[in-house]
Amino acid sequence: MNAPLSRRRLVLGLAASLFATTFCAAADRPKAVIGISVLTLANPFFKDLADSMTAEAKAHGMTTIVTSGEFDAAKQQNQVADFIVRKVDAIVLCPCDSKAVGTTLVQANKAGIPVFTADIASLAKEGKVVGHVATDNFGGGKLAAVALIEALGGKGKVAILDHPEAESVILRTKGFNEELARQKRENGVTIEVVATLPGGAAKDRSMKATEDLLQAHPDLNGIFAINDPSALGAVAALEKAGRSGQVKIVGFDGMPEGKAAIKAGKIYADPIQFPDRIGQIAIQNIVKYLAGDDVSKETLIPTQLYRKADADKDPALK
Amino acid sequence: MTNARQQLATALRHYGMAGVLVLLCAFFSAVTIRDQQLSGAEAADSLVDQLSKAGKQSTVLVIARATDEDQQFAKSLRVRLETAGLVVAGVVTGEPRDARKELQRINDNGAGLAIIAATPECATWTILADLPTKFPALGNPRIVSPQASRWPVFLTRQNLLNVANQIVVVAILSAGLTFVILTRGIDLSVGSLIALAAVVATRLVRDRLGGTEATGASLVLAALAGLALCTLIGLASGAVVVHFNLPSFIATLAVMQAASGLAFILSQGQSIYEVPESSAWLGRGTGLFGLPHAVTLMLLVFAAAHILLTRTVLGRHLYAVGGNEQAARLSGVPVGRVKLFAYAACAALAGLGGIVMASQLKSGAPTYGTSYELYAIAAVVVGGTSLTGGQGNVLGTLVGALIIAVINNGMNLTGVESYTQKVVLGLVILAAVLLDRLKGRFGPNARH
Repeated sequence: MNAPLSRRRLVLGLAASLFATTFCAAADRPKAVIGISVLTLANPFFKDLADSMTAEAKAHGMTTIVTSGEFDAAKQQNQVADFIVRKVDAIVLCPCDSKAVGTTLVQANKAGIPVFTADIASLAKEGKVVGHVATDNFGGGKLAAVALIEALGGKGKVAILDHPEAESVILRTKGFNEELARQKRENGVTIEVVATLPGGAAKDRSMKATEDLLQAHPDLNGIFAINDPSALGAVAALEKAGRSGQVKIVGFDGMPEGKAAIKAGKIYADPIQFPDRIGQIAIQNIVKYLAGDDVSKETLIPTQLYRKADADKDPALK
Repeated sequence: MTNARQQLATALRHYGMAGVLVLLCAFFSAVTIRDQQLSGAEAADSLVDQLSKAGKQSTVLVIARATDEDQQFAKSLRVRLETAGLVVAGVVTGEPRDARKELQRINDNGAGLAIIAATPECATWTILADLPTKFPALGNPRIVSPQASRWPVFLTRQNLLNVANQIVVVAILSAGLTFVILTRGIDLSVGSLIALAAVVATRLVRDRLGGTEATGASLVLAALAGLALCTLIGLASGAVVVHFNLPSFIATLAVMQAASGLAFILSQGQSIYEVPESSAWLGRGTGLFGLPHAVTLMLLVFAAAHILLTRTVLGRHLYAVGGNEQAARLSGVPVGRVKLFAYAACAALAGLGGIVMASQLKSGAPTYGTSYELYAIAAVVVGGTSLTGGQGNVLGTLVGALIIAVINNGMNLTGVESYTQKVVLGLVILAAVLLDRLKGRFGPNARH
């Protein structure tokens, strides 16, 4: 009896809900529109990055369209294709695949839309990027070594929870090893790297890797984990083995959960990244570009060491 | 039940989803109506009329970007302005920085400038704001752009091609999946097979067939190898389902894991991009009427699948197996072989999807196709094929895939943020399944 009616209702309801969400966005066309596609919005780093870009763009009278590739290079390519149809004035990408992003860049270049990258650089041979902004991962790796030397008083056995699939992590590990080697030469530091294991940049895999580490090296003193999830995985393994506090951990990132662990004394320190600075400078690059000014090809944002003393003062952790 | 209502139910069953697609298109057209700028020579024409009233001897600076259309605009505008007796002080085709240099040059000459003719995209450049303070010698030039007409962004040719292009891979997958679902099975491995085919083909090209110097024939060979491997895997999962009577859900879940792992092993977790330019032919090239090759391929796949399902014995057997396996077996349908075919064809088409994706992105990576099996299942279900087997058709699947593509594209165009997009897509799938239920209640089967 009421089948056609409810069918119509379904369709109308769907249309109405879509309409409600879209109407406001379609109303007026502001000065310049920036299309953004980040790696994933599930990671707070990229959420902060996107939010700071939107805020900075607003401060310059521009608006943003924020999308996320969610690690899917094809999805990101589609998002860029939609930006091109919408005739955005500039595009900011955190490429889902540094090497496969080339065809996407070429598409935007052909449409005359300038592309900027943030956090992750394009390693593709083709396609033009106006400017890239990222954390100074190499410098951050050095800071991590400084922190671990400090935590261990310059001696002991350490391990690295690595994730060499990511370009940024390769730089972190390289910086760590170089700084350690330098301090060994110059300052009489006697720290030995006894193992470098893959932790998948993830909590679960890092926890298992740390458990194995503790079996192989019962006298381990310190761990450098290349990001916060790895560091937190190591923390979990140490707690499970009843050895928390005995092995010093240095992480990387400064995610809220990592900072909380630093405050609790479970992680010694993090070189922290500043996604908000990265976002601001990416937008300022666009402002410069549209004003006809020169844009620097690459801007590296230095990290800063964040220890328990900083965590105790951090208003975000209250 | 009255005759009229029966007819309505039949009509809805056959055209309901197509109707929803049309409604969606109409809706997104309505909310994306914006000023559409003319481009190229046409835009130049409209500007000349406007500018010739400005009086002879007025100096004009033309600003456009470096794209083909913009260059054409700049070139023809220059010729026409000069014919109309105006003075063209300069032509910029490039970036804001180039515009700054040219403005600085004219400013330094002290000649003054009456008009800046810029394409609409260039008119938003901030270098063109506050000109009198930045370049005092120019005077206060008027900035003019080609006239605009109101037209929905959704309905532009480029956008419609985008929609088609964006759904090609999922659509090809879902065509194959329709076969399997018609037999009352499911194939969860299709997403992983995309990655596997892409990795196998690109790795063959890189390591065995000449890398970036590979010839067209080598590329075809590599693609066929990827397809063949996927077909074999499909045959294997079909064989497991048929001979050990395993639920297809479990069998293909295992294959999904194994195929994904294999793709990671073969690529060592990296993306393989050492392939020639020409490998983008399928994914990015266009053919007759400007139709992308990938879209043509998709249409061919659907035409073939439609003919197979509606005109051949095998097609009728697929329906029979899904409708009532026991009855089909008793009436002499080779149930095992029909199912084997369904899984093999599904896997082969997943492999084809992988080849298309590798071509679109000009590289192969083991992360391709993650969770695409869910999109494909959604397309099949939205398209009206019943998960309980035996009912549905492949044209419905195409409509289902298009509905998903249109919703995704429409939400991107209207700036719906990505969390909301997921919610909406989920609701659409739910609505489609509910619709399927309602159809069942009032369709011909309801009276049994």
